Amino acid sequence: MMHALEITLQQCPEVLERVLRVTRHRGFKVTQMQMRINDDASMALNIWVEAERAIELLSNQLDKLIDVTHCKVLAATPLNQVAS
Amino acid sequence: MRGADAVIKVLAAHGVTTVFGYPGGAIMPIYDALYGSPVEHLLSRHEQGAAFAAVGYARASGKTGVCFATSGPGATNLITSLADALLDSVPLVAITGQVSSSVIGTDAFQEIDVLGMSLSCTKHSFLVTDINELIPTLYRAFEIAAAGRPGPVLVDIPKDIQLAALEYKTPLQSVNDELPPQASDIDAAVGLIKQAKKPMLYVGGGVGMAGAVAHLRQFIASTGIPSVATLKGLGSIAHGTQGYLGMLGMHGGKGANLAVQECDLLMVVGARFDDRVTGRLDSFASNAKVIHLDIDAAEIGKLRPADVAIAAELSLVLPALTAAVTGQLDIGPWQAEVEVLSRQHQWNYQHPGDLIYAPAMLRSLANKLPENSVVACDVGQHQMWVAQHMWFRRPEDHLSSGGLGTMGFGLPAAIGAQVARPDATVVTVSGDGSFMMNVQELTTIKRRKLPVKILLMDNQKLGMVKQWQQLFFEERYSETDLSDNPNFVLMASAFDIPGRTITRADQVEQALDEMLNSSGPFMLHVSIDDAFNVWPLVPPGASNSEMMDQMEKQT
Repeated sequence: MMHALEITLQQCPEVLERVLRVTRHRGFKVTQMQMRINDDASMALNIWVEAERAIELLSNQLDKLIDVTHCKVLAATPLNQVAS
Repeated sequence: MRGADAVIKVLAAHGVTTVFGYPGGAIMPIYDALYGSPVEHLLSRHEQGAAFAAVGYARASGKTGVCFATSGPGATNLITSLADALLDSVPLVAITGQVSSSVIGTDAFQEIDVLGMSLSCTKHSFLVTDINELIPTLYRAFEIAAAGRPGPVLVDIPKDIQLAALEYKTPLQSVNDELPPQASDIDAAVGLIKQAKKPMLYVGGGVGMAGAVAHLRQFIASTGIPSVATLKGLGSIAHGTQGYLGMLGMHGGKGANLAVQECDLLMVVGARFDDRVTGRLDSFASNAKVIHLDIDAAEIGKLRPADVAIAAELSLVLPALTAAVTGQLDIGPWQAEVEVLSRQHQWNYQHPGDLIYAPAMLRSLANKLPENSVVACDVGQHQMWVAQHMWFRRPEDHLSSGGLGTMGFGLPAAIGAQVARPDATVVTVSGDGSFMMNVQELTTIKRRKLPVKILLMDNQKLGMVKQWQQLFFEERYSETDLSDNPNFVLMASAFDIPGRTITRADQVEQALDEMLNSSGPFMLHVSIDDAFNVWPLVPPGASNSEMMDQMEKQT
């Protein structure tokens, strides 16, 4: 399945590393990312990941990161329906 | 005041009386601030030993442990202990010196990216880049280490920040509200408990860490629901409690495993379906509905879906359940069935012959220990024998590296426990393999004149690996022979630790008494036969219903 996540992060230099490390270690492959810095010292990250595992295995772990203030699963698309 | 002075002041403000550590170049200002301060420092002889002592201190006392190390190798040496604390949810604050801000990123002497290394082995970590952030960061570190599911937090402080001037201001602290359960979740759990004919409690380390031991015992006393515990859950349920079957899992009791396999409702309390507990996951308690109670929402449904899940404070959840279900259960036949399983699978300590039978010795040690006592183990066969055959009054009395399974844990953890609880009888039970992994900490015992007792079981083997080679690798004993071990008692004597060796069963009782009655440290070196393995055992990939029983010939 392909999943889209919307994450709000506190701005700090290592926060992307934290998110990507957890994503890799929990068995999810990043296929696309968009990041922007908000005006209020937070960052917004939209990330698309691919895995056989349930997305909650990732979203729950990301939610546990101290610098993650918000993590929402937006959509799931079966891989065979992902537009190439 | 310098940043370094503020570090010590923050520690004192958090009630830290002892820090474990090892100095070096990039942390010298902090050691300078420590000099003459009311915060005691215990010098370890390796940073891994310092951090394990802090872990032992934390686990034996329930307080947050603190350790110091310098940059580069000092910090890399902490990593194993931080990982251990992460997997066993131990509150720890590790403070490392870092090279000065101006040279970070230039491959300076003793520079390594500690923040980068910490990402996978801490609950959270900080690199302090602004002197004004130093005090708030340290306060935050203590808060994060102890809040919710506890864990290790690392604060990396560059040398220039340690030397920078600041005015000490106590930061505003956020108050962590306890997470209460939802009434609807309690109602759903109560519904399942009332329906159950064969309910079973599976109790993990989360109960002790949540300070919910009394609440759990009240729940058990009120409901009579039978119970098992994980390695880290041992001590949560009082020894001798009706229906308590001891440890479950790979080296758990057969009665415990069979009862769990048979139950129709599994109440998981502060536990996480670890693979060493469940065996083959899809056959673990496969007919049971699951109520999962844990403060960490990420554990819910991670490995086994829950019918009802409550991610809230156990000290609030358990009393709510107790109040709602007391007197509402009809589980007499199940209690009787569990009682039969308990009797059928009792441990047998009768072992003829002259050789020392480790399980019987450890049972005897447990029965002799005074009320205020701590046992710290290493990792391997002896660790499983301790879990199977000793009993503990509280989870804080049994320190064992559960999640990470770190050899070398026992001796430094015992040191930390003895510092935290100076009046306790602290015994480290170790094996001849594990003991050598942090043997340098014998110097720490000597330095602080700690009365730590060392029970060293020596079969001249890396016993657990050897057992698996025997069972699953066609007796190809690759690199598990330790017959060239040092003379352990002679070695201990070099650190002013008296000791003796015993080799026969008829020496055990008197030798245990001699060890426990000695006023200072003591090493009891126990020679055991390498034919003894840990039984029973769930083979890798098998279901917990398929335990292997003892197969060695009687010697």
